[in-house]
Amino acid sequence: MKRIRRWGPGLLLVSPSIVLIAVFVYGLIGWNIKVSLSDWRQAQPSSGYAGLRAYRDLFHDAVWSLDLRHILIFTVVFIVGTLFVGWTLAFLLDKGVKGEGFFRAIYLFPMAVSFIASGIVWRWLMNPAPGDRETGLNAVFDHAGLHFLVNQWYLGQNWGMAAMAMPAVWALSGYIMALFLAGFRGVPEELREAARMDGASEYRVYRHVVFPHLRPVTLSALIILGHISIKVFDLIVAVGGKQLITQVPAVYMWIQIYDAQDYAKGAAIATLLLIGISVLIIPYLIFTVRSERNA
Amino acid sequence: MSTVAQAPPLAAPVRKRRRRRTIGLKYVLLLILAVIILMPVYVLLVTSFKGVIETDAAHAWSLPHLWSVDAWRQAWTQLSPNMRNSFELVIPATLLSTMLGALNGFALSKWRFPGADLVFTFFLFGMFIPYQAVMIPLTQLLTNIHFPTGIPSLIFAHIVYGIPITALIFRNYYATIPDELMEAARMDRAGMFRTFWSVVLPISMPAFVVALIWQFTSIWNDFLFAVFIVTDPSQWPVTVALNNTTGSLVTPYNLQMAAALLASAPTLVVYILLGRYFMRGLMAGALKG
Amino acid sequence: MAEIVLDNIGKRFPNGFEAVKDLSLTIAESELLVLVGPSGCGKTTALRMIAGLEDITEGDLYIDGKRMNDVLERDRDIAMVFQSYALYPHMTVAQNIAFSLKLSKRPRHEIRERVKETATLLGLENLLDRRPKQLSGGQRQRVAMGRAIIRQPRVFLMDEPLSNLDAQLRVQMRGEIEALQKRLAVTTVYVTHDQVEALTMGDRIAVMREGSLQQIGGPSEVYDRPANLFVAGFIGSPPMNLAQATLEAGDGGIVAQVGSTTLPVPAEVVRAQGLDEWRGKPVVLGIRPEDLHGSDDGASGVAATLPATIDRVESVGASLLVHFSVDAEPAKYAGLVAATGGEHLEEVPLTGRTGASFCASFEPRSGSRVGDAVDVRVDTRRLHFFDPETEASLHATQETA
Repeated sequence: MKRIRRWGPGLLLVSPSIVLIAVFVYGLIGWNIKVSLSDWRQAQPSSGYAGLRAYRDLFHDAVWSLDLRHILIFTVVFIVGTLFVGWTLAFLLDKGVKGEGFFRAIYLFPMAVSFIASGIVWRWLMNPAPGDRETGLNAVFDHAGLHFLVNQWYLGQNWGMAAMAMPAVWALSGYIMALFLAGFRGVPEELREAARMDGASEYRVYRHVVFPHLRPVTLSALIILGHISIKVFDLIVAVGGKQLITQVPAVYMWIQIYDAQDYAKGAAIATLLLIGISVLIIPYLIFTVRSERNA
Repeated sequence: MSTVAQAPPLAAPVRKRRRRRTIGLKYVLLLILAVIILMPVYVLLVTSFKGVIETDAAHAWSLPHLWSVDAWRQAWTQLSPNMRNSFELVIPATLLSTMLGALNGFALSKWRFPGADLVFTFFLFGMFIPYQAVMIPLTQLLTNIHFPTGIPSLIFAHIVYGIPITALIFRNYYATIPDELMEAARMDRAGMFRTFWSVVLPISMPAFVVALIWQFTSIWNDFLFAVFIVTDPSQWPVTVALNNTTGSLVTPYNLQMAAALLASAPTLVVYILLGRYFMRGLMAGALKG
Repeated sequence: MAEIVLDNIGKRFPNGFEAVKDLSLTIAESELLVLVGPSGCGKTTALRMIAGLEDITEGDLYIDGKRMNDVLERDRDIAMVFQSYALYPHMTVAQNIAFSLKLSKRPRHEIRERVKETATLLGLENLLDRRPKQLSGGQRQRVAMGRAIIRQPRVFLMDEPLSNLDAQLRVQMRGEIEALQKRLAVTTVYVTHDQVEALTMGDRIAVMREGSLQQIGGPSEVYDRPANLFVAGFIGSPPMNLAQATLEAGDGGIVAQVGSTTLPVPAEVVRAQGLDEWRGKPVVLGIRPEDLHGSDDGASGVAATLPATIDRVESVGASLLVHFSVDAEPAKYAGLVAATGGEHLEEVPLTGRTGASFCASFEPRSGSRVGDAVDVRVDTRRLHFFDPETEASLHATQETA
């Protein structure tokens, strides 16, 4: 009895949030799955059961296949690019440079800007217009003599999505830099000094002392970037609108609901997105909680 | 780089020269990357101050010949009602969700109960889900329970879906407070709320800064929730307005850029003024997934 | 002032670890009882169970006759001083001390009065407006005490309050805490790993090891009549010398055969420790360093000598610690544990010497040097004997027999 008096208040304090999350996250997810299995395909809600119709439709949908290809290309370029740039920035700043605060502030500021706003600029920068209407980055490349770099950017036939990843890399490199910098600096200086005393070159110090320390941070970064990428919506809408050539699942869902009014299909897309993310997140959550407990 | 154990005196100047070269190289790289990162800002600023005539392809990258605030004036006229909506949204939502996060983070880390870690994981998953997965039922539910539409609905949604991230921030921060402090308060006969109010809250400033800045920025910049939940264009927050009208492809470039800058101004100001505290919190691992 | 009774108290953690086993003791009103033992011996857990910060899994706790197992810590009228002081970082010294009174909603002028009183008692009057981070370790310690004192509780609990202070401050604070306790006459339970602190401060000492009580008694009793090998080796610095020996008949009485040396045992020792029954049996012999004297010591009561070659000499100012080997087997016992680290000390002879390593405390200016051959004079009245199986001291065994 006394024990309940001890922690009862704590439980009471979080219980409203537990209820809210239970309803608005888990409850609504269930509801969404239910809608995906229903026959709601017009403005008026309908709750008849239609089984896996929506999923089957998607499976045979050429647009959906295109969306998947797009998101795959985007994800790979985005993750690799952001990790590379973020890591490089952290590496350059690790030993401390004059004006570090100034540099850090610059690299991080893109996080403050919405994708809609930055989408407007990047749309302009990546303008594929040719000839005398040429502008944006293409204009810079041509004037700098780098003609081979001129291309269609996000309107490129096969690899347009790789270009679409650029604004995303721009926006998130700073955050990854912060993660890696914290990781780099989490290595006790004594460890590095001991290695140097043992005769290790700086390269070796990095390779054998610092990098192994970075594995958990890299894992975190991968998971965070992965889940952002699967969900990407704002950026695509801002740069490419509803165009097919830049469409990703999240945008397709929006179109299904607002234009096609096929709610079941929209819900199915949402469910598939959820499954995709769960595959990534659930093992990660279990891993983190378990390692926290062991620590 | 040379190894440490070098005896000949010639080694020292070589090493110094090499080190200076490395540092020089570092600065060059850092500056190049900084310029690349800032490039879009240059474009935004420069284009926004041009008159319509100058926004053609030929003058794309050059400074304005004739500095003009036309675009700004237009952007302001079109967007200020939406800016106002955004403020009405962001201020209550940020304050309430941060406070809720503090309470949750406190209960989950310092006034624990059996299953506290489970509850935390339960919350955490909610942060990672694609919000698309709950948009349809969310809008339906809000309609069914006759929740006041427009901005109030949006505020509610942001508070609810902000629970996981704010709880994470505060829980991570409160984990650094020694348990003995809680025990001392208990021995001093303080109950849970008293302990929170008098002992924990006064030392929560770092976490508050991170949470407030993060929530302010996320909620102000949000597009997905707003576009699904707010159907009346006059109630649109500025992000939706930016995308649908003022910033859309059909408007002239100078207006687009000015609008984008205007819409981003509040978050940029917050970032400039409070950014270093946010960085400090980030570096201390407040957001380590 | 209240009487505390621990009746077979035990603490088993959810993972199965038993931190405290079957602990029974009574702490009298206004007594200062010291719980002492190496790290991990359960002393802090026992303290926290009295406080109510840990749940009692077995046994009963009574304070002033009332069972306290299910009473919340806030209702036990107990104040605690934490090892890390746990001062509220954003509050001033005055606010820290006054906090509990504020919670009890005492009138503001009363609070101010009592804070001033307590601050004066502890020498903190000029620091009332400072924050903890502006204070030195000793000052913080006193604030922590002030916070406890002002509540006028019926019990004080102190968890290693001096271990974060440097040596000189510790010595000074020891006396101050003791004087304070006497003055306030509040029942106090004091936990420490430092046996010197235990000996100097406690009305009584309770020695613990691996969750169990080894011995409880006044300082001289614990020092002069240790109940077992662990207490003998733990209390006293440098520790008691221990070696395996056998008791034989001889010299008109009993003699102790330690390696190749024969030490006659005085009749009163034989009587007091019941040594007759141990004739011919192996025992463990113990003798404290201060009862081993150099040749020019002029100490009386010395009836035997131990020939030795000096291995090592340590000058500690007030005496000269002389280390030598005795060609007897060292005593092996389960409780051979270093006080602070909780490490099990293996006999690792760095010098390659075999046999038991003994330490004698000579006069500081005796001039003994490494390699010297000395006849160490043994004060045989002060010999201790222990049962090698049970590790209990023979006088304790004899008393219970």
